[in-house]
Formats: sequence, C-alpha cells, structure tokens
Amino acid sequence: MKTPGSGYWSRLRRLPPTLLVGLALLVPYLIVALTGQLWAPYDFAQIGTGRPFSPSGGEHWFGTDQLGRDVFSRVVHGADDVLFLALSSTLVATLLGGVLGLACGLLSGWFDLVVMRIVDALIGIPFLIMALLIVASSGPESSGDFSLLIVVVTVIYAPRIARMARAVAVDLAARDFVIMARMRGESTWSIIWRELTPSAAGVLLVEFGVRAGYAPLLIGSLSFLGFGVQPPTPEWGLMISENRSAIFTAPMAIFAPAAALAGIVIALNLVSDGVARLIGRAKADS
Amino acid sequence: MASQLILQRLGLALLTLLGVSMFIFWTTEVLPGDIASRVLGRQATEEAKQAFRDELNLERPVYERYGLWLTDALRGDFGKSLVSGRPVVDAVLPRLHNTLILAGYAFIIYVPVSLLLAIIAALYRDRTPDIVVSLFNLLGLALPEFVLGTLLIYVFAVQYPLFPVMSMIHKAETLAQILHVTTLPALTLMTAMAVYSIRMLRDNLIEVLQSDYILMCTMKGLGRVRIVILHALPNAAIPALNTMALNLTYLIGGVVVVEQVFAYQGLGSLLVESVFLRDAPVIEAVALLSSALYIIANLVADLLAIVLNPRLRSR
Repeated sequence: MKTPGSGYWSRLRRLPPTLLVGLALLVPYLIVALTGQLWAPYDFAQIGTGRPFSPSGGEHWFGTDQLGRDVFSRVVHGADDVLFLALSSTLVATLLGGVLGLACGLLSGWFDLVVMRIVDALIGIPFLIMALLIVASSGPESSGDFSLLIVVVTVIYAPRIARMARAVAVDLAARDFVIMARMRGESTWSIIWRELTPSAAGVLLVEFGVRAGYAPLLIGSLSFLGFGVQPPTPEWGLMISENRSAIFTAPMAIFAPAAALAGIVIALNLVSDGVARLIGRAKADS
Repeated sequence: MASQLILQRLGLALLTLLGVSMFIFWTTEVLPGDIASRVLGRQATEEAKQAFRDELNLERPVYERYGLWLTDALRGDFGKSLVSGRPVVDAVLPRLHNTLILAGYAFIIYVPVSLLLAIIAALYRDRTPDIVVSLFNLLGLALPEFVLGTLLIYVFAVQYPLFPVMSMIHKAETLAQILHVTTLPALTLMTAMAVYSIRMLRDNLIEVLQSDYILMCTMKGLGRVRIVILHALPNAAIPALNTMALNLTYLIGGVVVVEQVFAYQGLGSLLVESVFLRDAPVIEAVALLSSALYIIANLVADLLAIVLNPRLRSR
C-alpha cells in the first residue's frame, strides 16, 4: 500500500509554487528555442512578407516590421539566440567567479587580497559603463559577435559572483571537514572541487539562475544602444529598438518582443527563487 | 572604533578608484591596439601616424602614459577629443550638469515613493494592496528601461500629450521647463530603482513590526501609523540605506539607456556617442567620472550605516 504523500503527484504538489509556475513559463521558451526553426511561418530575415508595419491579424499574427518581416517569426526565431546568449554567458561567469571566489576564501593571504582588490575595482565600474568600455576596447569589426557579448556579461557578473562565493568559502574553510582535508594534505584544487563545491553548489546554482534572469535585459539594453547583437539577428531588445517608430501603426511589433523579454526574465527569476526555497528546505530537514 | 573603520573604508575606496582608473586606461588605450591607424585610417601615411603618436606620447611605455594621464586627470585635464579636437572637459561638464539634474530629480521622487509603497505593503501584508505592489515590482523587474521609457512616451507624450517625446534639456531654462522635459525620464529611472528597494524595505518592516518593542508600543496604545513611521521605520530603513545607495549607483549606469530613449543630452548619451566614434579621451573621462560617483555613493552608504548603527559604532 502506498503511504500518503509518496506518490508522484503529491510530491510534485509539495514543490515550491514559484518553481512550478517558473517551470511552466520556462519550458515553453525552451521548446520554442529548440524547435522554433522548424515551424516558424517565415524566415527571420525574409523581407517583404507583407506591407511594412502592417498591424497584427490575419496572416501576420503580430504584424510586420519596417522591412515587412513577420514579427511572430522573428520573435520565435529570437528565442534560441536570447536563451543561448543568456545561459552560456552566465555559465562562464559563474564557473570563473565561483572558482576564483572559492579559492580566495580557502587560501586567504596574498592571493585573496590581490584578487579581491581587482574584484573591487571591477565592481567599482557601473555595469553599463563597463559594457561600453569593453565594446570600445574591441574593434568595430567585432561588434555584434556573440563571443564579445559573452565576454561583456562575464566581466560584469564574474566579480560579483566571486565576492559571494568567497563569503561562502570563508565560512566553509573553518569547518571540520575542510580542516581535516587540509591535514590529510589534499591539494588546493582538490579541496575546492571535492570539499567546497558540493556545499557551495546550491548557492552558486541560485546565483546562476538570478544572474541568467537579468542577462537578457543587459544584452537587450546593449542591443538597444546599438552595441549588442547586430541586424538582422532577431534579438528581442534590438527588435524593440528597430520598431520604436511604429508604436501607433503596429504596436505589436514592440509589445510582442517586449512581452517575450519580460516573460523569460520572470520565468528565470521564479525558477531560481523556487530552487532557493528547495535548498532552504533541504537544509532545514538535515 | 568608528573613526578607524571610517578611515579604513576611505582607504579602500581610494584603492578601488585607483584600480578602476587602471582598468579604464587599459581598455581604452592599451587593448584597442594602434590608435593612430584607427583614428587616421589604414591609408594614412606613416609620417602622419608618427606625428599623431608623438603628440599623444604613444611611443612611451604604458605605465608612463598611464601616470601622465592620471596626473593630468587629477588636475581636471582629460586632454582633447580625438574627433572634435576640443578639450574633453568642455564637452563633459555641461552634460554632467544635465545628468545631475535628471538623476537628482529621479532620486528625490524615488525616496518617498518607495517608502510609501513599502509601508502600504507592510501594513496590508498579504492583502490586496500588498499584492498590487508586488505585481508592480515584478513588472518593473521584467521590463527593461528602454521598454518602460517607450511605454511612458506612448501614454504621456502621445496619447495624452502632457510631456514632450524628446527631452530637449539644453533648451530648457526656467524650472517649469526643466521639470516639463525631465519628468518622463525621471519617472522611468525612479520605477527601475524603486522595484529593488520596495521589496527589501517591506520585508524589513514586517520583521521589525514583529519585534517585542513594537508590541510594547502597541500595548502602550500608540496608533498604528505612528508606530510604523516613528518606531519601526528607522530600524527597517538602516539596512535599506545600503540598497538606496546601491540604487544611486544603478542610476549612474541606468541614465545611459534612459538618456538614449528620451534623446536627453547627458553624460550617458555622450558616452554612447563617443563609443560609436571610439573617441578614447572622452570615453575615459566619462567612465572615470561615473565610476568615481559610483564609488562615492557606495562609500556614503557604508559610512551612513556605520554612523547610524550603534552596534557597529561601539566596535
């Protein structure tokens, strides 16, 4: 006989509601990102599919933009670029910042002092100004490169993640299991990987989720300023900037990418909030 | 000791500013490679490039150039724009003035609005007003400034033409004119800032309202509003001060996008223009100035927290 509350359904119902709502929002985005190319009615760069700035309805669900491109198809095609950029750049930043921060907290001393002063300096530059500095440091020929945008997000996020990971590691370094590992003569790298990472993984995962949630806004803002993704890439921030003049004639050309952008930010935030709650529960249980 | 702590924070802030200046110099003058070919074009003659390098001391070692740049900058001399040839300071100062007007206006409306909404949300915890405030927060978090600004233009400049579509601050003279052109961009900045602090202030207030001394106030028969404003708010606001100062720092980056949306002639739009032109001296000046303001805002938040918190003070 089944004990109450052990079934699949009731276990699902005990998950934090923010996680469920977040996943319900996020999963469609992932499906669209992975399969959108197969069923989007038009290609994202195909011009003249209709009269420029035609309103939504009929053949064009969200209308068309200034070149007569189908806005619905562009929003669908944009999902994989936006998600790929946000997730990959935040992942690089979390790995780099996480390892650096954990090493600083564990080693303390000179290494910690020097790295943390560099971190202070990098955090001392407001993030949009930092983004523009990095754009300025690269040639005009590399504008719109995905790799440049990943560098931008990494340089902005990694120091902030490192500062947080360091605080976690300072706390952990005083615990018995880490002191034992040091006495056994384990290498620094092995302590970071085998002793610290398992305990810090939860915090880093939540940090990854929250940061990934804001990455689309950061990249979108850069695209809006003209330094992010370049046309004709269907990035949502760039689409909003391109279609701003059509706010009366074809408002859906702005509202659709804006809603898509807002939705992904909310989804990633809710999921990371849910994960944080799950981790909090696991801690309370143990 | 408080004075020791304050001195330590001051020292750290100066060290950070030094690191920031190195990073800015490195990204604008070292990483881009040969500035001469970039500014003059690849077709320029070798003599022209050489003259250009001599004028800007580009042949000297990097640390010497950095030292010269920093000592000049400390004296308020940021060199000449590579594009217009005019002193950078002349371009920066009027823009800084405009940006300070906008940022100051945004901050002045931000403090009471976020306090008021947080108090309402805390008083009506988990009831309709609280939920409305949370929804407003969620929306503000998810809508980037350029969407928010565009929506505000749509509603308040086009549907109901109360404010101009473009904020021509350089043509505004009287206070009324200045308020007329800066209200929409200031509202955009205010909303983007408020969403971060309302949530935090509300949670702090709720925590403080559950403490014993508030119960004591209630038992003494003090009114609810009086308890919240005179007894709970000061304690709840101290941790939130840091968030407010962090929001000042947000403001310094946020103006870049908002100024672009409203075609506002400020420091942010100057930075965007000079990054397009790769005008290194102007980029350096704006980035250094913004970062200095940012670091000062952080320092002020730290010092305020030390001065206001008796527990930190006695240590």
